[in-house]
Amino acid sequence: MEPFAAVSYVTVTLFGLFCLVPLWMIVAGSLTDESVLGLNGYSLFPQPFSLRAYELLFTGQSLLNGYIASLFITVVGTILSISCTAAIAWVIARRLPFISRPLTIFAYVPMLFNGGLVPFYLLVTQVLGLTNSWFAMILPLMLAPFLIFVTVSFFRQMPEEILDAARIDGAGELRIFFQIVLPLSKPILAVLGLFYAVTYWNEWFTGLLFLTDPDKFPLQLILQNLISNVTNAASLPSSAGAAMAPVYQLRFAMTVLTVGPILLAYPFAQRFFVKGITLGATKG
Amino acid sequence: MTVTKPRAGRTGARRHGLSSRDSLVLLLLALPGIAWFLVFAYGPMVGLVVAFKAFNIRDGIFGSPWNGLANFRYFLMSGDAATVVFNTVFLNALFLGASLLAGLVLALMLNEIRGGPYRRFMQSVIFFPYFVSPIVISIMLQVILSGVGGRGGLVNNLLSVVDLPQVSWYTEPGAWPWILTIVKVWQLGGYTSVIFLAAITSISEEVYEAAEIDGASRWRMALSITVPLLLPTFAVLVVLGVGRMFFGDFATIYAIVQDNGVLFPTTDVIDTYVFRSLRMIGDFGTTAAIGLFQSVVGFVFVAAAVLVQRRFQKESSIL
Repeated sequence: MEPFAAVSYVTVTLFGLFCLVPLWMIVAGSLTDESVLGLNGYSLFPQPFSLRAYELLFTGQSLLNGYIASLFITVVGTILSISCTAAIAWVIARRLPFISRPLTIFAYVPMLFNGGLVPFYLLVTQVLGLTNSWFAMILPLMLAPFLIFVTVSFFRQMPEEILDAARIDGAGELRIFFQIVLPLSKPILAVLGLFYAVTYWNEWFTGLLFLTDPDKFPLQLILQNLISNVTNAASLPSSAGAAMAPVYQLRFAMTVLTVGPILLAYPFAQRFFVKGITLGATKG
Repeated sequence: MTVTKPRAGRTGARRHGLSSRDSLVLLLLALPGIAWFLVFAYGPMVGLVVAFKAFNIRDGIFGSPWNGLANFRYFLMSGDAATVVFNTVFLNALFLGASLLAGLVLALMLNEIRGGPYRRFMQSVIFFPYFVSPIVISIMLQVILSGVGGRGGLVNNLLSVVDLPQVSWYTEPGAWPWILTIVKVWQLGGYTSVIFLAAITSISEEVYEAAEIDGASRWRMALSITVPLLLPTFAVLVVLGVGRMFFGDFATIYAIVQDNGVLFPTTDVIDTYVFRSLRMIGDFGTTAAIGLFQSVVGFVFVAAAVLVQRRFQKESSIL
C-alpha cells in the first residue's frame, strides 16, 4: 500500500472515532449507575450497568408528552413543507410568462435580506397570536428558499415529451402536476422530506421563543431545560420518587431518546441526503 | 412550452400559450407558498419600522412614537457593538476555514480508501454529526469538558493522566473560539467532504491514468491533480460562506454557551446578543435596530458574494 493511502486509512478512521466517541459517551452514560456518574462526571463503559433512567422515563409522563410534541411538529410540518415547496417550485419551473420569473425573484429576495428577530417575534406573538402553539414551531420553518430552488432545478430536468404527451391527451395543469410530475419526482420529494423532517425534529429556537407551557415542550426543549437548570432534571419523572431521581443518568437517557429516531432512520436515509447535497451543491 | 392543447369553446381560452384558466390554476397551486413568503419573509421587513420607534406593546408596531436613530445610536455607542461584530466575523472566519479545510482533507483521504464497504461505512460515520441537534451537541461537550455536574470530564481526566493541571473550561473565555471551531469541524467536516467528493467523482479517470503511466504516486496525484481541480468548488464554498459571515450560528453557539456571561467576551455574536436583549431586557426598539444593522451589512456581504460567485461559475447561479 502506498504511504498516502495508509495515512488516509488511519486518519479517516481516527476522524470517524472522533465523530463517534461523544455519541458513545452519551449512550454509555445513560446506562451507567448514577453513583459512578456523580463521581466521575462521565462514563466510557456502562459499569455498573443500570436501566434506572430509562425505567423512570418510560413510566413518567414527560417523555411521552415530548414525543407527542416532537412527532406532531415533525409530521405535520414535513407534510406542509413538502406540499408547498413542490407546488411553488413547479410553478417556477413551468416558466410561465409573467408568473415564473417574478415568483423566482419573490422567493430569492428573502435569501438576501430579512427583517431580523424582533419583527419576526412580534409577528408570531402579536399578529398571529401563536404563543404556546406548536404551529409557532412549524410555520416559520415551512419553506426553505434554498430547497425550493433545488426542487426547481430537478423539475426542469423532467423530459418535456412526457408533459407534452399528457397535454395532447387532454390532461389539465393540475392533473399533470399530481399524476405525472409528482410520481416522477419521488427522489426529490424524499430529499425534501428528509431535510425538512430533520430540521423540525432538531428545532428548538422557535420553541425557546414561543413556548412557555412545559406540557407542550418537544424533546429538544425538554433537553434545553435539563441543561439550563439541573434542578429541573429532578422533577422530570414526576410520577416516580423525585428525591431519588438519577439526574445525571436521566440527562443522558433523555439525550439518547432524542437522537434515537434520527439514529435509527439514518442508515436508510443517508443516501438521500448525499443526493440532496450533491444536487444543491452543483445546482444551488 | 407553447404546445398547449386548444381548448375550443372555453371562455377566456387563448389560442397561444397557456389558457388564462391554466395560469390561474397554477397560480392557485403556488398560493400557499406565496402567502407564506408574504407573511413570514416580507411581513418582518415591514415590521422593521420598529427600529425607528420607541416601541411599546400597548401602542403596537405602527402606533408607537418615532424616535429617529436613537435606537441605532444606543447600540453603536454601547461597548458591546464592537465586540459582537468582531466575534461574529472572527468566529465565522474560523468556522469556515476549519470546516472547509477538514472537508477537503477528508475527501482527498476518503478517495484513497478503495475498499467499498469500509469507505461507505466511514462516510456515513463522519457525516452523522451533521444531524445532531445543537442541544445534544451542547450536552456532549459538557460531558467531555466538565463532566455532568462539573466533576472533571474526559479532557480533564486525560490532562491529569499526563500530569497537567485541570482546566475549568466553562470559565475560560480565551479557549472558546478554538473549542467552538473544533465543534464546527466535528459537525461539518463530513458534510463538507460529501460536497468535495461529489466534485472529485466528476474528474475524468483519464487524467489519473496518464499520471499513473508517468509514475506519479497517489500523494502526488492528490496534490497536483485533485486539489487544483477542486479549487473552483472550494472558491464557491468560500464565497458562499463569506456571504453568510454576518449571521452568527445562533443555534450552536447559544445551545453551548447558554447564558454563561463569563464566556461572552469571546463567544457573543450578533444573533445571541439580539436574542438576549429581546428575552432578558425586552428592549424591542434597540434590538430591532441591531437586527436591521445586521440585515443591511449582511445584505452587502451576501450581494457581494453572489456577484463574485456569478463570475466564478455563470451557469450555477439561480436567477
